[in-house]
Formats: sequence, structure tokens, C-alpha cells
Amino acid sequence: MQQEAAIREPLILGNKSYKDITDDVVGPIQGAAPLGWKVMITISSMVAFYGVGCILYLIGTGIGVWGLNKTVGWAWDITNFVWWVGIGHAGTLISAVLLLFRQKWRMAINRSAEAMTIFAVIMAAVFPGIHMGRIWVSYWVLPLPNQFGSLWVNFNSPLLWDVFAISTYFSVSLVFWYIGLIPDFATIRDRMTKPLQKKIYSILSFGWSGRAKNWTRFEEVSLVLAGIATPLVFSVHSIVSMDFATSVIPGWHTTIFPPYFVSGAVFSGFAMVQTLLLIMRKAMHLENYIHTKHVEYMNIVIIVTGSIVGVAYLTELFISWYSGVEYESYAFINRFSGPYSMSYWAMMTCNVISPQLFWIKKIRRSLVATFILSIVVNIGMWFERYVIILTSLHRDYVPSSWSEFNATSIDVGVFIGTLGIFFTLFLLFARFFPVLALNELKTILKSSGEEQKRLQADAKSNTNA
Amino acid sequence: MADNKIYWSGLEELDRTPEFEQLESQEFPAERPVDEFLADDRLQRANTGRRDFLKFMGFSVTAATLAACETPVVKSIPYTNKPEEITPGVANYYASTYYDGHDYVDVLVKTREGRPIFVKSNTETGYGRVNARVNASVLGLYDSARLQAPQLNGEATDWTTLDGAVQKGLSGAGRKVLLTGTVMSPSHSRAIAALAEATGVEHVQCDSISYGAIVEAAEKDFGRRVFPSYDFANAKTVVSLNADFLGTWGDTVWYTTEWAKTRRPEDGAMSVLHAFESGMSLTGSNADRRTRVKPSQQGNVAAALLNEINGQGHVAGLDEAILAGVKAAAADLKAAGANGLVVAGDNDVATQCIVNAINVALGALGTTVNINEKAALHQGDDAAFATLVEDMKAGRVSALIVDGTNPSYHAVDAAAFNAGLDKVAFSVSTALFADETASRCTAIAPNHHWLEAWNDLQIDPERIDIAQPTIQPLYDTRHATESLLAWAGQTVDAYTFLRRTHNAAYSAEAMYTDQDWNTGVHNGFLAVATPEKVAAAYSGSALAGALAAVKGRKGGGFELDLYRKVTMGDGQQAGNPMLQETPDPITKTTWDNYVTMARADMEAMGLNTYIAEKDPASVVKVTVNGTSIELPAFPQPGQLPGTVGIALGYGRGAGNEAIGKAAYQVGEGGDHLADAEGNLVPIGKNAFGLAGSVEDLPAFSAYDVTVQATGETHPLACTQLHHTIMGRDSVVKETTLDGYLAEADAKRGDASWNRVIGLNVHDDINGDGEINALDKKAAGEFDLWHEHAVDGVGHRWGMAIDLTSCIGCSACVTACHIENNVPVVGKDEVRRHRDMHWMRIDRYYASDWSKERGAEEGLGVISTYAKMEEPGANPQTVHMPMMCQHCNHAPCETVCPVAATTHSNEGVNQMTYNRCIGTRYCANNCPFKVRRFNWFHYPGYDKFQNLNPAQDAIQRMVLNPDVVVRSRGVMEKCSLCVQRTQGAKLEAKKAGTPLEDGSAITACAEACPTNAITFGDLNDTSSEVRATYDNNRTYHALEEIGVQPNVAYLTKVRNTPNA
Repeated sequence: MQQEAAIREPLILGNKSYKDITDDVVGPIQGAAPLGWKVMITISSMVAFYGVGCILYLIGTGIGVWGLNKTVGWAWDITNFVWWVGIGHAGTLISAVLLLFRQKWRMAINRSAEAMTIFAVIMAAVFPGIHMGRIWVSYWVLPLPNQFGSLWVNFNSPLLWDVFAISTYFSVSLVFWYIGLIPDFATIRDRMTKPLQKKIYSILSFGWSGRAKNWTRFEEVSLVLAGIATPLVFSVHSIVSMDFATSVIPGWHTTIFPPYFVSGAVFSGFAMVQTLLLIMRKAMHLENYIHTKHVEYMNIVIIVTGSIVGVAYLTELFISWYSGVEYESYAFINRFSGPYSMSYWAMMTCNVISPQLFWIKKIRRSLVATFILSIVVNIGMWFERYVIILTSLHRDYVPSSWSEFNATSIDVGVFIGTLGIFFTLFLLFARFFPVLALNELKTILKSSGEEQKRLQADAKSNTNA
Repeated sequence: MADNKIYWSGLEELDRTPEFEQLESQEFPAERPVDEFLADDRLQRANTGRRDFLKFMGFSVTAATLAACETPVVKSIPYTNKPEEITPGVANYYASTYYDGHDYVDVLVKTREGRPIFVKSNTETGYGRVNARVNASVLGLYDSARLQAPQLNGEATDWTTLDGAVQKGLSGAGRKVLLTGTVMSPSHSRAIAALAEATGVEHVQCDSISYGAIVEAAEKDFGRRVFPSYDFANAKTVVSLNADFLGTWGDTVWYTTEWAKTRRPEDGAMSVLHAFESGMSLTGSNADRRTRVKPSQQGNVAAALLNEINGQGHVAGLDEAILAGVKAAAADLKAAGANGLVVAGDNDVATQCIVNAINVALGALGTTVNINEKAALHQGDDAAFATLVEDMKAGRVSALIVDGTNPSYHAVDAAAFNAGLDKVAFSVSTALFADETASRCTAIAPNHHWLEAWNDLQIDPERIDIAQPTIQPLYDTRHATESLLAWAGQTVDAYTFLRRTHNAAYSAEAMYTDQDWNTGVHNGFLAVATPEKVAAAYSGSALAGALAAVKGRKGGGFELDLYRKVTMGDGQQAGNPMLQETPDPITKTTWDNYVTMARADMEAMGLNTYIAEKDPASVVKVTVNGTSIELPAFPQPGQLPGTVGIALGYGRGAGNEAIGKAAYQVGEGGDHLADAEGNLVPIGKNAFGLAGSVEDLPAFSAYDVTVQATGETHPLACTQLHHTIMGRDSVVKETTLDGYLAEADAKRGDASWNRVIGLNVHDDINGDGEINALDKKAAGEFDLWHEHAVDGVGHRWGMAIDLTSCIGCSACVTACHIENNVPVVGKDEVRRHRDMHWMRIDRYYASDWSKERGAEEGLGVISTYAKMEEPGANPQTVHMPMMCQHCNHAPCETVCPVAATTHSNEGVNQMTYNRCIGTRYCANNCPFKVRRFNWFHYPGYDKFQNLNPAQDAIQRMVLNPDVVVRSRGVMEKCSLCVQRTQGAKLEAKKAGTPLEDGSAITACAEACPTNAITFGDLNDTSSEVRATYDNNRTYHALEEIGVQPNVAYLTKVRNTPNA
């Protein structure tokens, strides 16, 4: 068994046995739904229904129900798309990259983070669909053989790469997540007493028997998938950023975008993980599994990526001046001093200044501060996309076409609606799925559990004595 | 031990039945060998083979499936007798003439399958070109609000009953009056004479926009009651005193075309235009020097000009700025001598007399000003009209025939006219609509639309212009000439009568044999004997009085100028949705009327000066002599503080008259708005009531008005929110004539006013030993792309737009709108910045600030940019037509995921609507922002029910069958009129000849009255567009981004002295 230094903070608190872990994770699934869950799912599903209503109205009437115009062809739609895709980055990063780097602390959070990823990517995928004028022919973006003559998709278009990138990312994330779930579903299956539930979980667990062969294959597949998923973490947002980077619009046409977008995505993804987990650990009494140390680790990721994002912002400003191109320099001057400068400064404050507070250890380890700042970061990241998309578009080359954008209630409704759908899905996940990778956690109990650490310490003091 | 068990597979085997034994012996039973089967000749007799059977089966299943689907049934009915000249799918053109009381143009009417769908200039007659009002007028033909039958006492009737009633009405005692606008038709005049003779009807002419002062001044000074003809082509200096001759004043279409001929820098000289006005008119925006003058000072400006020229006038009440403008104008006038021309728009006899004196002093009589022998335009007699109203009020008028005019709307004192009309025992109108006047008349005898009727018209003494019908009358209407004749007791049809006007011996048998007439109809005019010209003698007797009259004029707190918009004119086409949606060339505002005010005044009054989607305009109350009007205030750069301007031509249908659905305001849902009493709300307010009369002449200006803020707001729909060019030299390039001439021989790209744009590179390009901001490489040298093989291969369509010639009149905008079935989207959508115009005209005002000035004055870059957003107080203006630039390296083409927008091998950027999925990525990536998205289903969505022609069962007949009506969710944009280029190619192919330059022309280029737009094949080395392309003024907008457009611009040259 892997040994770990006693002075490392334990990852699992309390004197947990394997059975305790199982009980802690499976218990809530077996028990009745708590009142708080019922209240939350009622609210979020109502919001979700409202959002679906807005989307149906949009599809039935036309894109004109949004506030877009002849100059600003994208605003909230693509902002929301990029925002959700960004959020969808943390899960795979945690499960794949951290797996490859053998970071044990990921085990407490990877399951929920991956679920979050899946749901966020689903929400993200909604927007490129509904933002189309004719969603009923959206399948034309797929390079399908067709009877329209030799019609083919345009492989030059970054929007097409987007389709491939997002769909690949979604499929790989889904498979990865599901593979991880199989042993845990089996555990639930084994504990279920009601026949219907037992049946369902037994189907979900794909006949997992827990034999060594199963585990070997599980580990192999996980490693292979981690290998596949890792480049995807970087490619997806790089490609999303190319929607902008390959254009001619000042403020979009920027080679810095791929790394800048990826770090921004990780930044917002971790913030969303924080937001969700801090609620979940409280609601589901997982304080022993997700605690200050985990939060601190994630906050460190947030400082790093937030700082990268900050540097990117400043680089953009510098280059706009250094390029000597009139349009480029105006685009950035307009960003921070024009009609939408409020958004710019909101972005700067939320994304560059606020994460720097995490340099202070007290704040970094404070759950309340983390919760607040994680929300602030996600607000900031929404504004970042809004600033990039809107301020670049609304005043580009020809001043006669300079315009403004005013969001309508449907713009807002669709966005809020996707939040509703997202939280509904996440609440369903929290209720029926193992929210912690319980079988994986058991593998580190003996190396990183608090009890183990105590025993190690005792042993050490005994030898010293 | 062996176990001898017997295994059997069935009882038959166990029992060894004969059948089993037989089968057992034949492992492969071949009861019917193939040969035997095929040899069966019954198979040969069957006429359905196996394969056929499968085919039939497949067909039946498919057919059954298809039959189960419901397909829309489109019935097309063939001609019983196909007219010889109509071939479905092929357009016919007919020469005709348009005259509406103001605009007079020789036109060609395009018909498809017997439907007129487009009006364009008849360039072969050499008289004028269409403007926005004329080419949009084709919509009026199909207006579903038109009267469909004669009316008596508000009820539909038949013509016999109506004629009986009219004749009875005309038999009464008292004055019987026929009230018309200016009649320019010899036949109609003859009918009027016949009616007068038969019934004693008097003829009174009254124009909606009175030019009475000019006519009266001509009578005083030259002894002829005529509106002079101004020859702008001869003018080297033009001074406009509030005369918007490029937009609305006088015989606009003719002046515009002629004036533009004098504005070609390649000729080595250009005419110079000085404008003196209070608000910004289209003419003022094109002036080389514009001086801001209050309406009350116009007379004194004329006097000061005269004073400068020959010392006869005086200088009174003018400040330094105005005097400087006057001196500059006078210097140019003196330099031009007989080629000088002063025109004045004020309907004030004194001013016009002084202007006559100036023109005479210049010696312009006979060169630029011609006092005609014969009256033509603007014969309205305001005094006679005033007398008529008095008589009507006093009950002295027993019968009134209103023909082609609408005084209940445009009379200065419409209330008095209406009160008088109520006292007239019998009244009849020949209006096409139950408009303000017609709906108050006893009877309505609806006239044909001009596209349905024969007409003869004469503006030029040497020529009779012919208007011919291009469609059978849609409704039970009757030619007004025929109506007058019927009431005179003559039963003759209008056509015969018209023929007899020009050939007394005409008979029905000779209908088709008169070659002169046939040629005349074909060409659009009949030449007539040139009358001998008798020069007018100037008396000058009125000058002293005129000078004295203007000298003491003083204005009050605010002064008002009533002007007309280029789009709306006098308001007779208020129900035309395309005109309503065409942005005013100056304010870029659609669907509304407003008070133009100086920004400084608005700020002093605390009014909103930023108007946008969520920033409605502040409503102000303008009071003139106790009459008030409440309208939103619009901040107009160039407006002189202390003056306001209001456009006439709005507020039509204030009494709920049926003048067309589009004449009324609609709400966000598309329903008409209604006021508290349930009446429809007209668009804008009628400002004719503010005109005031001076000795019966409507003044159209007021020297003392009050303007008060009301605290209310009203949204305005502007297509342009930002008004300055922000120092972006690669969008608009301009120079002065002197600057141009100094480098007239420079190679393209070398002259200081059209220098190739360079981009910074990390290379020591200029060889000064260091790499710095001065190292620039020409934009054209950067290229990431493969060339489209369009140069020298087949056709390559291109366009060149001369910013020097473009005056911003918007004729191209309406022409494009109609030609390409561009949706009308209404005020609410325009307010949301979703106008659909494929062709727009960007209007930029110069700012007093530039980056250089900011740097000089030590201002930060942010503050400088903020200041550059503000137009100057009296700015120079640029009009820049903008449509798809058809880039050879089009940014839109690369980003479309489904390749819905592609490049043709003729250099055109094509939009495939069927393939478009509506991501709008192309529009975002378009540097020129010319792509338009179908946000809604415009031809069907309720929001557009009251304004989109495609939603009206009759009006949709105006749609061009060659251009598809786009569905919701697809992108659209300028196609360089691909239907026209394809058509021209087909014609050339049929004829077996190479495509001739000029045979393919876009709607915008065709409509342009100043020939600013040139279109053609760039690969045709002899084409006009090729030559224009090679001009040294030619540049591509936004050259540095390397998109390589096929549309080029020519540097604007102003004839202003170098400052």
C-alpha cells in the first residue's frame, strides 16, 4: 500500500471504516428525500420549465424575440454557450488530468465535478442549437451523406469544428463518468432491498461483480479514457475560442485566445465546482470527505488560472496598442471606456482582483469566503464572454453600423432557464447517484484517512519513545 | 455393450411411408427444374416481368406515400388568348410619365405577366431621373385601401347614378368651382375647358406646396406668371437660400441630374454650391460651404448678396459668420458671372424679387435662369384659393369638384376649408382614396392610378410626354378626364379624347396606324413644334420695395422652418410602407416626424439628445401664433441654435380616413394603435397648420415661435446611431478640388488623398536602419489566401461608387427595396436596429475633433475619442452608399458552417437561402455590416400585418417574381442584382453576341440620378466600370483588412477652398 507522510493533511476525516463510507454515500439514496431537496427541486424545475417555455417561444416565433440586431448578431446566446462550456471544463480536468498526476484529493470531488461537466455541456449545447435561425435544419452541420447533390459542410468554419469538439468532448466525458460510476452503482445495487430499485441499479451497474478482473479492466479503461480526455480538455475551449480568433472583428481576432480561453474555462469550472460542493457537503453531510483541504487545493487552481486570465487581459490591451492598428486599439479603448465599460470593469474586478484574495491563507481556507468568491468568479466569467462578444461587435469597423444591445425578457428567460435545467439535473444526480466515488475513496482511506494519520503519528511517537 | 437404439426423426420415418421414401431418395427435390420453369410460355404471355413487378410495386408505394402527403395546390390559369407581347417570365418595359404635382419624370415601367412591378428612369428622353418617391410609387397601385367603386354619400354606387348626381349638383346657382393642383396635361386642360363651357365651372389651381412667391415675383419682375426653369448644368456657382433643390424643391429630379453633371473633378473644374439655411437639408449636406441662417434673415442674406454683387442691396441684421458666408458666395457668383445661379426656397415675394435682381445682375438670365413663355410647373394660385374658401364659407359656392388635390390636409387653414366644404351643396372628388377631402365630399369619382391610365403631360414646350397604362384598371375607377367630360355632357373615353388633343382627325379606325403616335408611345414623348423664344425683360421695379420689406425683419426666441423630407414629400404617399421605412437621408430616421433642434438648445431645455432603442426622444410643444403641435425633438447637427425645423407631409389621415394601412402607427404586436376614442393614430403630426399665410401665400416659416418641453417621451426609429467617421480614413476618403487637381495625374495609390494603406511589420521596410512604427508594408501585399480565379476569366461583376457624385437622395435604397423584395419591418423593428435594407446610405458628419487635435490640446485618447463622437456644430457631411462589397476574400464565406454563402466564379458573393441555417456568424464577421437576418417570418407574422406588402393579398402583386421572398431564420444581403446579370447573360447568349456593357445593371445603379454608381463587368476592358476602377480616386473601403472587395469607392472631392 502506498504510504503517505503523516504530516500531510488527511483527506478523509473522522474514524471512518469502509462500511461508514458506503453508508455515508448510499444512505441518502436509500432514505427518503429530505425536505430541502424537495423544495430545491421544485424551484429549479419551475425555473427549468419557464426556460423551456422561453425556448419554445423563441423557436416558434423567431430569433427576433431576443434583443439582437443587424450589428450584434450574437450576445447572450453565445455568451451563455461559452460560459457553460467553460464550466464544463473542470470535471474532466479533475478526473482526467488529476488522475494522471495521481492527485488523491480529486477522489472526493471528481464524481460531482464530472456530473457538473456533463450537465453544463448539455446546457452549452442548447445554445448553438437554439441560436440558429432554422433549428429544424441544424443537422446540416453534420457531414452526412445527403441527397442534396454534392452539398457538404464547410470545413473552414470554426463553428463546424465547434460541433465536432463539443460532441467529442461530451461523449468522452459521458463515458468516462459512467465508467467511474459502475462499481459504485454495483455497491448501491448490493445494498438495495426494494426489487425495482435493485433492478434499476443492477442494470446501471452493467453486471459488475467486483472481481479482480473487473477492477483491472476498470483501472485500465480509466487510464485510457483519462489519456483521451486530457487533450480534449485543452482542445474544446481552444476551438471555441477560434470562433472568435479566426474572425476579422477587432477584439475577436486575437491569437492569444486559445490558452486564455482554456485557463478561463478551468477557472470558472473550478469556481462552479466550489459553489456546488460547498452546498452539497452541507446538505448531504459530507464534511468528512470534502473539507478545507480540498477547498484550498481548488482555490489554488483558481488563483493560478485567474492570474493567467488576468495576464491575458493585460496582454490584449498591450497588443491592441502595440499593433498600431486603429480599429484594434479603438476596440479595446471602447471596451474599458465605452458604453459597456461597466461589464468590462465587472469582469476585471471579478476575475482578476477577487481571486487574488486567495493568496491570503485565511480566506483560502474559509468556506464562506470561498463560496462567495466562487459565485463572484462565475459572474465575472459570464461578463468576460459578454464583453468579448458584445463590445467587439457593437462597434466594429464602420461607425454607421455601431449599435447597442438590449437584452429582452426572453434573453434572460432562456439563460435563467438553463440554470434551472442544470440545477434540476444536478439535484436528481445528487439524489439518485453516488455523489462520491465511494469505491475509489476506499482506496485512499488507509493512506490518507485521519485515523490512519493518527495511527502513523502514534507509531512514530512510540518508536521515538 | 452396444445399445441398438433406433433413432427416428418422425413417425413417417419410423413407418417408412412411401412419401418418406420418395423424399429420402431425392435429397435435393427438383420438382420444377429451372429450365422447365422458364420454358413455361405462360410466363412470356404475362406482360409484367419480375423486375417490372418490383418497379411497379416500388412506384405504387411511393405514389401512395406521396398522395398521402398534402401538397399546396397552386392553380395557374393559362391565357385564353395569349397576348402577343407577354411571355411568362419575361419582363416588358413601357415608356410612361410620372407627375404627382411636384415630381415630373419620364419613366419606364417594368411589367411582368401584365403587372407593373418597377419604375425606372427613361434615360433616353434626357429628362430627369427617378427619385425615391417616384420609384416607390408603384406600391400605391396595389394599395388595398384604394376606392374600388364610385361613391355617393359614403356608399358605393355606379357611374350613371354618380354622373346624374354630379350633373344635378352642377346645375345649381352660385359659384361652381373645379379645384385642382397644377394641371400639366393638355388633354385634361381641354376637358376642363369643355366642362367650364358646358356648366360654367371655374378652374382654381392650388398646390399643396405653394411656390406662389416665385411665380408672383416673376410676374412683377418679368411680367410672366411662370415658374422659371433653372438650368443647373450651366451653373458654375449655385447659391441656395433655403432651396432644397437636390431633395424636394422645384423640379428636383431634373435639377439633381443636371447639377451632378457639373461635379466631376476629372473635368478639371467643378461647380461650387453655397447653402444658406437653418436646418440641415439634403442640399445643405452637399454644399461646399454651408452657412447657418435664421429664416427671418433669409431676405437680408439675399439683400447682402445683391449688395456684394452690384451694391444695390443692403447689409442688415447679419452677424459675422453669415457675412463671411455671403462674401464667399458673392465672390464665387461674381467669378461665375452669367453661369451663377441663386435659388431661394422661401415662399416670400420680397426675397424672390431680390433673388431675381441678383440673377439679372449676374447676367444669368438665359443661361441658368429661363423665364418661360409658357406656364408649366407650380401654377397654384393661392389668392384664388383664399377667395374660394371665403366664398365657400359664405355659402356662395354651390358645387365643388376636387381633382387631384387634398386641401383638407394641406391647406394652411384646413379648418376653414372644411367649414366651407360643409356649406357647399354638392362636392365631388376624383381622389384614389377616400382621403381627408374626398371623405368630406358628397361624392367620389375615383380616378385611375397613374399606372392604369393614359395621360399626356407637358413640362417642356418642345415635347408632349405620354403616360400609358401598364395594367387594366384594378377597380371600377374612371379617368378623371373622362369624368370631367361626362359631367360636361360629353360621352367620350379618355383615350380617344387624348388622341384628339394631338390629332383632331383621330378616329378609332386609325387607332394603330398613326406612326408618329406609335413612335411617341414607344419613346414616351411626342415632339412638337418649338415655340419661338421671347426673352423676358427685367423691370426691376419691385426691388426697392422688396429690399425695404426684408430689412426690418426680426425673429423671436425660436424660428421655425417647415421643410419636406426627401422620402415623404408633401405626404401624398403616406400610406406607402417602403417610403415610410426609407430613412431620411439626413436624420436617418424612419416612420416618424419630429422637430429638428440644435443640440445646444436641447441641452439648455434638458431634452434627451441621445436617441436609441431604449432612449426615446423628448416631446416638445411648438407654438406658432397660438397653434401648437407636439412632436419629439431630434438633435440635428448643423441646425442653427434658436431655430427648429418640422417636416410637412406627416399626420395624414388624422380623421381615420382610409388612406392605407401603413399610414397609421402600429404597436409592438402589429395591431394599429388607437387613441382614447378608438381612432387610428397617424404617423407624425400635420404641420401645414403652422405655415401661416402672408398675403394669402403660405409662408412655411415662422419668425417667432415658442418651444417648450412637455416632459413626455416618444420613441424614434433611427437606422444610424452613430454619426461621425471617428477619423477612420480607410472608410471614407475625401479631399478638396484644389488638392485633387494638384495631384490629378498621380497614379492610383500615390496621391495624398488616396494613399495605399500600410500596415506595420517587424522589418526595416523604409531602410532607416531601425524597425519602428514607420515601417509599413502596403496592405495589398499581405495575403494568406488563394486567389479566386476571377481576373480575366469570364465575367467579374464590379461596382464603383463615386462619393463626389452621391448626394444621399436614397433613390437607390427604394429601388433596391422594391427590386429585391426586401421586407418592410416597421418602426418597432427599425428602432431595435433591425432594418432589412440591402442597400443603405451611411451619412457621416465631420467632427471638430480629431486625434491630432486631441494630441495638440493635450487631451487623453479616451476623451479625444469621446469628443470625436460629437458632430461639429455646422459639420460637413458625407453620404456613403453601402451594400455587400462582394469581397474576393470574403470573411463571411469562410465562417459559414454549411457553406450557404459562397463565391461565384463571376466574383459575386452569393447567398443560398435554402442552405442557410441562420447562425449569423457571417453577419458578425462582416466588416461592413451589410448582412441582414430574417428575425421573424416577415411575410406571415402578425407583427407585420399592417405594413409588409407581402402580407397584403393585393399588394403582394408588386413583389418581383425573379427574387425569392425569404423565409424566417435565413441571412440575406445584396446579390448585385444577380437576377438581372443572369437575365442579361441569357439575352446575350440568345443573341449570340458578347455581353454588352450596360446591358446588365443593378437596380441601385439604374436608379441613381447622379450616376454615382457604376456597375459592370470588370473583365470587360472596355467597360465603364473598368475605367472607373482604374481612376486614381478609386479605393476599397477598409483596404487594410485585405478582404479585396469588388465594390470600390471614389474619393470624395469637395469644391471648398483649402482651409
